[in-house]
Amino acid sequence: MSETPGVDSLVTETADRLFTQICDHEAVQNAETSGDAPEIWSAFADTGFPWISIAEDQGGSGGSLLDALEVLRLVGYHAAPIPAAETGILGGWLFASSGHEIPEGPITVLPDGGANVTGSVTGDEITLSGTCIRVPWARIADRIAVLLEIDSQSIVASVDPKDCLIQPMTNMAGEPRDTVCFDEVKAAVAPAVPGVDLESFRFRGALSRVALMAGAIEKMSQLTVSYTNDRVQFGRPVARFQAVQQHLVWGAQEAALARMAAETAAREANRGSAFFEIAAAKLIANQAAAKATKACHQAHGAMGMTQEYPLHHYSRRLWAWRKEYGSDAEWSSWLGKVAVSQGAQGLYPLITGGSLNLD
Amino acid sequence: MNDSTEEQIRFELESILERRNADTRLTTMGAGSDNVEDGRQYLAKTVTGGWHVPTWPPEFGGRGASPSQNALIGRLLREFVVPDLYPFAIGLGMVGPALLAHGTQGQQQDWLQPIASGSSIWCQMFSEPEAGSDLANVALKATQDGEEWVLSGQKTWTSRAMWADWAICLARTDPGQPKHKGLTMFALPIDIPGVEVRPLTQMNRDAHFSEVFVEEARVLDLWRIGEIGEGWRVAMTVLAHERAGGGSRGGGDGNARGVRIPGWISDLQALGVAENQLWRDEVSNIYSHDRVSRWTSQRAADEARVSGVPGPAGSGAKLRTVKSYKDRAYLSNRSAASYGMLTEGAGYIETMTAPSMSIRGGTDEIQRNILGERVLGLPGEPRLDRDVPWSDSRRGLL
Repeated sequence: MSETPGVDSLVTETADRLFTQICDHEAVQNAETSGDAPEIWSAFADTGFPWISIAEDQGGSGGSLLDALEVLRLVGYHAAPIPAAETGILGGWLFASSGHEIPEGPITVLPDGGANVTGSVTGDEITLSGTCIRVPWARIADRIAVLLEIDSQSIVASVDPKDCLIQPMTNMAGEPRDTVCFDEVKAAVAPAVPGVDLESFRFRGALSRVALMAGAIEKMSQLTVSYTNDRVQFGRPVARFQAVQQHLVWGAQEAALARMAAETAAREANRGSAFFEIAAAKLIANQAAAKATKACHQAHGAMGMTQEYPLHHYSRRLWAWRKEYGSDAEWSSWLGKVAVSQGAQGLYPLITGGSLNLD
Repeated sequence: MNDSTEEQIRFELESILERRNADTRLTTMGAGSDNVEDGRQYLAKTVTGGWHVPTWPPEFGGRGASPSQNALIGRLLREFVVPDLYPFAIGLGMVGPALLAHGTQGQQQDWLQPIASGSSIWCQMFSEPEAGSDLANVALKATQDGEEWVLSGQKTWTSRAMWADWAICLARTDPGQPKHKGLTMFALPIDIPGVEVRPLTQMNRDAHFSEVFVEEARVLDLWRIGEIGEGWRVAMTVLAHERAGGGSRGGGDGNARGVRIPGWISDLQALGVAENQLWRDEVSNIYSHDRVSRWTSQRAADEARVSGVPGPAGSGAKLRTVKSYKDRAYLSNRSAASYGMLTEGAGYIETMTAPSMSIRGGTDEIQRNILGERVLGLPGEPRLDRDVPWSDSRRGLL
C-alpha cells in the first residue's frame, strides 16, 4: 500500500498490522452473525486509534484529521466491523467541540442530524423525543452524541443509550444500523463551538464514508487481481483473457479514482473549508463503488457470490455506505446548484480552486 | 389439438386459477423464496389442460399447442396468479425440452408428465470446481458396469439440489477423447446411496445452491440421456433452453389484465420517484429495454421450439434480460435513498442477487463469445485443449 503524504506512517502501519492480525474473513463473518466484534474493538481502542484528531487535553489521542481519515481508509480496507468513524471524527468531534466528556467505549451519532428527533432545553439539561433510524452500532455504544439546532444555536447532548429503546436492525453488509427511540429522554446538553452545525456534520459524515469506501474499493480490486490469476479455466488463468482484464482495469481505476478523491477531500478538510471537495469526493466514491463492485463481481464469477469467499464483505459495505451521508442524486444536485450559482465566469475557478472560491 | 380462442382459454383458466390484481407481489427467482408448495399446487391444477407447457404433447402434460397458441396462452396466464416456479424451472424449462429432443420414448413416458404436474423436481449437475465457464472440463467420471454406470466426482453451484428428486448430470465417460467428446449425460436420482448434497450460502443469504458429492453412485444405463459421448450436445440443448428462458414462465412482473403498470414501477411511484424528470427518463429507458428483452426471449424460445435446436438468439435474450434485471435493481435501490441500505429497504434482495445474474447459466462474457462466433462469424477464442485427449490437458501437458 502506498503512503499518503502528510500522514504519520507509524500510525497507518500499526493500524494495518493490527487489522491484518485480528480482522480476518472469519472475524468479519462472525461479527455479522453476532452483531458485535468486541475483540476487534478492544484491540483497536487499546492503541487509542478511535480518538485520533481529538486533542489529548480533550480526552483524545491527538494527531490530525488526515491521520484519522487514513485510519478510516484502513478500516474500510479490512472491512473492520467497528464504529470507528462514529466514535472518532463524528461523535468524538461533537463531544470535544461542546466540552462533553469523551467516554471510554464506542460513541454513535444520529445520521442526517436525527431529523425526527426534537428536544426542549432547561438549563444544562435537554429532554429528547422522537425516533431515529439507521443509527450505527447503537446497541453497543457507551454514549449517543445528539446534535440539534434550537433557535439557530447548535447544541450537543450526551445521551446514555440505556435510557433509549433500541431496536436492532442491519444494513446490507450486516452491520448494525439500529432504530433508536427517545421517549422523553433526559440528557446533559452544551452549546457547540462555532462551525459545528448540522451542515458541517453532514459533510464530515460524507468525508468519513469516502475514506471507508476508498479503502474497500482498493481491497476489492486487489482481491480480484489475485483471484483471477489463481483461477484456471480453458487451460490458463482467467486473468489472461482480455475480457477479464477489462474488468480488472475497471476495478483498479475506480480504486485509484476514489482514493485520489478521498485524499484531496481529506487534505482540504484538514486545512479548512472543504465542502466542494467533499461533495465531489462522495459522488465519485458512490459512482466508483457501483462500477467497481460490478467489475469485481463479474471477474470473480460464482465464487464471489458465496459467503465463504470474502468479496461480499467489501461489495455489500460499499452498497450500504454509498447511501449514507448523501446518495448520488443528493450530491449531484448540491454540486449542480453550487456550480450554477458561480456563473459562467466562476465555474473554472471553482473546479481548479475548489472550496477556497466559495463564500 | 385445435386452436382455442382467447375467450375459451380465459374461461378455462378462470375455472382453475385465481385472477391477479395490481397488488400481487411476486418473489424473485432464486432469491429468498422457499415456497415449493404453491408451485406444486399450481402445476397440479394446470397439468390436466396442459396449460403450463402447452407445446408439449398432451400425453406428457402439454396440449400440443402451436407457437402462436402457446404465446397467447402465455399472455393470458399473466392475468392469473402464477406462483414463483423457481424450484420447478429446471425440469419445466430445460430438462423437459432436452428430453423431448434427446430422450428415449421410455424416458419421455416416465419423466415428462411428473415434471409438468410438479410431482418431480429436477436439478442440473453440470458445474464443477474446475469446470465453470469452461464447462467441457467436467471431471466427474462414469464407468460402465454391465447394465449400470458407476459415477464418482464432485459438482458445485447445483441449484435446487435440496428439493430435487432427479438430477441431469454431465459426466466424463472417456478421458482419452478431447474434452468435448468424452462426455455423456445421465439422469441420476438424488436420493440413491453415494450422493450427498451440501448447501452453500450465498451473499444474499440464499442457500439454494449446493455442492454435490458423488461416490460410486450406481445409475441404470436406461437413464443415460443421448448416446455415449454425446453429452456435450445434450448439455448445449439444456443450456440454450436456459438462456432462451423457455418454460420459465411464472414469477416475473408482467402486466395483469387491465393493469398497465408493472409492479416495479408502482413501487418507484410510491417512493416519489415519478416527481423527478431524470428518474422518469431512467424508468422509461428501463421499461423499454425490459419490453424488448421479453420479446427477444419470446422469439428465442419460439425459434428453439420450432427448430428443436435452440440457437444463439438465447444468448442475446439472456444478456438483455440480465441487464434489465440489474438496471431495475440499481434504480429501485438508489431511489429508496438512505433507507435502501437497510436489509428491510427497497431492492435489498435484488441488489444482493443482481451480480449473480451475469454469472449463472453462462457468464455475459460466454454469451458474447457465442454471439461473436456464431452470429457475427468472428474468430473464436484460441482453444489450446480442443483436439488433445482430456486426460493430457488435465495433467497440464499443454
